[in-house]
Amino acid sequence: MLEHILSLGAYLFCIGIFGLITSRNMVRALMCLELIFNAVNINLITFSNSFDTQQAKGEIFAIFIIAIAAAEAAIGLAIVLAIYRNKNSTRIDQFNLLKW
Amino acid sequence: MELELDLSFFYKTTILPECVLIFCLISILILDLILKIKDKNVFFFISLVSLLLSIFILIFQLKEEPVISFLGNFQADNFNKIFRIFIALCSILCIPLSIDFIKCTKLAITEFLIFLLTATIGGMFLCGANDLITIFVSLECLSLCSYLLSGYTKKDVRSNEAVMKYLLIGGTSSSILAYGFSWLYGLSGGEFQLQKIADGLVSTEMYNSFGSLLALVFIIVGIGFKLSLVPFHQWTPDVYEGSPTPVVAFLSVASKIAGLALLVRLFNIVFPFLPNQWHSLLEISAICSMILGNLVAITQTSMKRMLAYSSISQIGYLMIGLVTGNFDGYTSMIVYLLFYIFMNLGTFACIILFGLRTGTDNIRDYSGLILKDPLLTFSLALCLLSLGGIPPLSGFFGKLYLFWCAWKTGLYFLVFIGLFTSVISIYYYLKIIKLLITTENKEVTSYVQSYTVSSFSLLSKNSIEVSIIICVIASIFLGIFMNPIINILQINLHLNTFTNI
Repeated sequence: MLEHILSLGAYLFCIGIFGLITSRNMVRALMCLELIFNAVNINLITFSNSFDTQQAKGEIFAIFIIAIAAAEAAIGLAIVLAIYRNKNSTRIDQFNLLKW
Repeated sequence: MELELDLSFFYKTTILPECVLIFCLISILILDLILKIKDKNVFFFISLVSLLLSIFILIFQLKEEPVISFLGNFQADNFNKIFRIFIALCSILCIPLSIDFIKCTKLAITEFLIFLLTATIGGMFLCGANDLITIFVSLECLSLCSYLLSGYTKKDVRSNEAVMKYLLIGGTSSSILAYGFSWLYGLSGGEFQLQKIADGLVSTEMYNSFGSLLALVFIIVGIGFKLSLVPFHQWTPDVYEGSPTPVVAFLSVASKIAGLALLVRLFNIVFPFLPNQWHSLLEISAICSMILGNLVAITQTSMKRMLAYSSISQIGYLMIGLVTGNFDGYTSMIVYLLFYIFMNLGTFACIILFGLRTGTDNIRDYSGLILKDPLLTFSLALCLLSLGGIPPLSGFFGKLYLFWCAWKTGLYFLVFIGLFTSVISIYYYLKIIKLLITTENKEVTSYVQSYTVSSFSLLSKNSIEVSIIICVIASIFLGIFMNPIINILQINLHLNTFTNI
């Protein structure tokens, strides 16, 4: 049972990384970031259920990660708004001012 | 219940420096809210005083024994305290740089100070964090504030682009780090404190397994992004070019100090069984950083981009001390870090001053600056030469000690690469200095012509110039007083059991 859930976590992690690399929209990239954090949460809660049923430190870490991911998403969306005001689009590939 | 009260009395002094900063933060917020103060310089004064106060508290605490407080979540030993002093020192030097910049660009001052102080607090907690939750939360406290700071000029499209890249890459790196932490948690059988994780890895006999190697790789990738080690450096030049320059100056030193402290503590405590693996991984990335950072810096045309690559190569030099892995290695790393703070912040201060007066940061536009402002030219040249490592300046002594320690432990290849790339770095630093000084065809660029010199009398200095002068004096003369600094460090670190592992 443990390895199935761990592979689910690894699968979600890979989807998140893949989505971050390929997605062309800022909002979609933020959603992929959330996906990676959720993969971490799945891992933590699984481990906590199997090894650490007394203190449940994994669940506590998961709560912290959820809160921080929310803060990060809030900052990300604020940046999306600022970008949209300046350029009228949120596509990542249109940002090519800064390069070599 | 009584026991907890007693313990909480003990806790107060361990995080007293951070508490001073938090108190200052709250008082700035409240003062700005209730009093309609027109002269915002009061806030700079408050924050500078509180940072100085926290440095003094930390220096006085250096004599105390190492303690682990907050039920094992926070460790205060001398190694951490030195790094916490360095981070507070960076903020002290960076705040004067930002005063004039913010006044010229007409941004909000209070929010800038609050973000900067919060980033400082996050970095200071990160240096002393002793379990995975505290490490993650304080790391995010540092990086979330860095995102906000680097997107501070929100009307500027370049700043928008920089913060977008920084947020996506920083978020990815911290999630990768958290994934590595989750594996550590599982492999150690449900432990969170660093020392208990190491014990747990032994008791579950997982310390040499594939899983712990995987966790090690994930953690190196996550911290490598923060430190901008070479395979993970792609974001650095873009973020440095787009962000406001005082913010770049802060990021280029503070995040590196915090990241290095985290790297040293985490790997020495949690992975003492895999020293060969993490040493070789870090050695490869150090070599790549030195070579690629210095080679690419030659071709750059923007000053900030050039400094970004130069900072990538400097983190490679700092890694030499970490890879050396013994007491001398860590001491040399700390000494070089101290010199690096002054050299790098001095260079950035000169660039901020030039950028404010002319509005450009292209290397080409610096030509013939000596005709207009000899003192600025002189200080920029000295800081750059010190970064490159020219003999009488402090950067030379720092590098020499670093290479000597590595040579003694037998890392000949690393030292050879370091020496070779230092020569390359001297080439591109000298190219800028040549551009600054030579006036062969007697024509200066329009930017330099529009440069207006303030009177350099002793009374009417602006804050950037004060900061420049401190940094230049430190980066010239600190090298001469290197022996006392090393002695102080060795005496203080000697009491500490951690680096002797």
